[in-house]
Amino acid sequence: MSHPEISPPPENKHPETLFTEIVIVGCGNPLFTDDGFGKSVFEEMQKLTLPDNVKIIDAGLGGPHFIFTLLDPEVTKKLVIVDIADFGAKPGSITKLRVEDLPPGSYRDAHSWDLAEPLLRIKDRIDVTIIGCQPARVTAPEFEEGLSEEIQNAIPKTIQVILEMIGVDYGTTIKYLQEEGRQRGTAKSCGSPETS
Amino acid sequence: MSKVVEISPTTRHEGHSKLVLKVNDAGIIETGNWCSITPVRGVEKLAVGKTPEQVPKIASRVCGICPVAHCLAGIEAMEASIKCEIPKDAQMLRHIVQLGNRAHSIALHNILLLPDYYIPGTEVKINPFTAEEPVRTVAKRIQRIREIGQTICQIAGGEAIHPSNPRIGGMYRNCSAQAKTKMYDLAKEGLTLAHAQSEFMIAVIRNYHNRDFVDVGGKKIPMPKTLGFHNQGYLATHAFYGSSSMDECPSWDINRFKEARPFDWYMGEMEVSLEDGSYPVGGTTKMGTKTNPQMEACTGIPMYDGQPVEVGPRARLVTYKNYDEKGTCGQNIARQMEYQDCFYEMLDCIDALNPAGKVIADYIPDGDGSLGWASNEAPRGTDVHITRVKDWKVQYYSMLVPTTWNFATCSKALTGAPWQLAEVIMRGYDPCVSCATHMIVLDEENKLVAQKLIQ
Repeated sequence: MSHPEISPPPENKHPETLFTEIVIVGCGNPLFTDDGFGKSVFEEMQKLTLPDNVKIIDAGLGGPHFIFTLLDPEVTKKLVIVDIADFGAKPGSITKLRVEDLPPGSYRDAHSWDLAEPLLRIKDRIDVTIIGCQPARVTAPEFEEGLSEEIQNAIPKTIQVILEMIGVDYGTTIKYLQEEGRQRGTAKSCGSPETS
Repeated sequence: MSKVVEISPTTRHEGHSKLVLKVNDAGIIETGNWCSITPVRGVEKLAVGKTPEQVPKIASRVCGICPVAHCLAGIEAMEASIKCEIPKDAQMLRHIVQLGNRAHSIALHNILLLPDYYIPGTEVKINPFTAEEPVRTVAKRIQRIREIGQTICQIAGGEAIHPSNPRIGGMYRNCSAQAKTKMYDLAKEGLTLAHAQSEFMIAVIRNYHNRDFVDVGGKKIPMPKTLGFHNQGYLATHAFYGSSSMDECPSWDINRFKEARPFDWYMGEMEVSLEDGSYPVGGTTKMGTKTNPQMEACTGIPMYDGQPVEVGPRARLVTYKNYDEKGTCGQNIARQMEYQDCFYEMLDCIDALNPAGKVIADYIPDGDGSLGWASNEAPRGTDVHITRVKDWKVQYYSMLVPTTWNFATCSKALTGAPWQLAEVIMRGYDPCVSCATHMIVLDEENKLVAQKLIQ
């Protein structure tokens, strides 16, 4: 008899393939409130049926150690990183950033080998985009769980942007996600020229 | 007269830490303090009142590099508290996840160590990112070992970084016969690569430590033959995995453990009186800067039988394989020796795994509040999680992670070394600093304060 409270997590669709042509990585620590945005986007995307050349990963804090320093440009052509980013917009706004746009120290490997950023090493051979969401509240170094409402509401729009970027027409699901975003009042905040 | 030099932040490891070193006129360390400067976070507090399923997932988020160890130690501490025994095939899958993670971790640490070493027969230091041979072949081998470790971890664990398959009572899913064959093929390839990589690493490590002088920031620094020696003793709870039972593992007895406050152990306020702008990377701390390890250190000092001990690969080899090479050289060689052990053990576990076998316990109790603990031999040492579960709620939770043990032991091992080699000694411990910041403090009666508050 299994405990009634325990339900199985979604199955990994590519358990024998570490990375594919397109890799989408949710980054951040869900123990610092809105820093859990990347993980929440990952969890929502797990519910979608994506093409075989797309892999989604919940990197937590391990992006530099486990992914950015291990991607093979012969295999992976596109990397989409989903994370929070402070770009001075309203909480819940999202933006697309290139590696060059990141301030020094972002995604610096915590192991800090020769102080270079691992994304700088791969950006000329892999198309790297960072989708940043403006957080409302990050409690580091104090642990606290749960996303702010504005950040929670930005998830459908973020997924829509990712799907468009990777050329997936998710038909009614995208429309549904758009409508869900509008109903929650996030579509406007995501629509400025600088933000996507 | 003693001078004070500070290296902050230390580099080529996970997290933020610093070295405060009291040195003599010849630059030899008289007293060294290595301390975490990552603030205390309080995962223990967050865990109280949550379900046993939630807490290991929370625990695995405290660190970017040891999620596997924290996830497994957390789950097994819960299982120890509720007295739940898991099926053998679930145990095999957990062992495989653990070993896949270790193979990746040793290879990652190779990249961090290599810039200290020389290409044998030359005076050229190794740049692991160069496209030139012979380093390019080594770098490609390291990357392949990392891929193999992570892929095996993903097949057995569901996800490679934060494994989703382990659960209270076993695993959610067994793997298919096809997936078992894939893991076996990968492990066999990994074993061949591990032999070659281990031989290469041991050669460059010995080459480095056998030199009379080594280069640090353009200066020739004498290499002591006793670099990193200490007499603190070792702690390991299993040759490669871990345990949650005193009968099975008599080497870890929670009653022999206590923790001191950093205030009682580290040096007090001092002023930096020695500065070297050429020290990599970016020079040491400016002269005149105030430093206060007692107040700045974020970890307690764990003691086993009254003193700090070393945990990690050498501790495992000393405890279970009669290994006896001391110092930083011996420590780094021990880690390379775990390469092959890791893949041999992995092959045995894959062999023993029955893909048709049951992976969930028949009955999962709700817990009666008993104290349960589990140790997991993480790549960098013994990771102990302690808990009490009652009526499917966590009443108490505590993590005692590897680098917390090693901060104090490494501090002792700094004595007698030229200060410029302090980071070389520190890197031998493959530190992971951010999860090492959970403070358990004892009161005068040697009782855990956190535990007392909960009860």
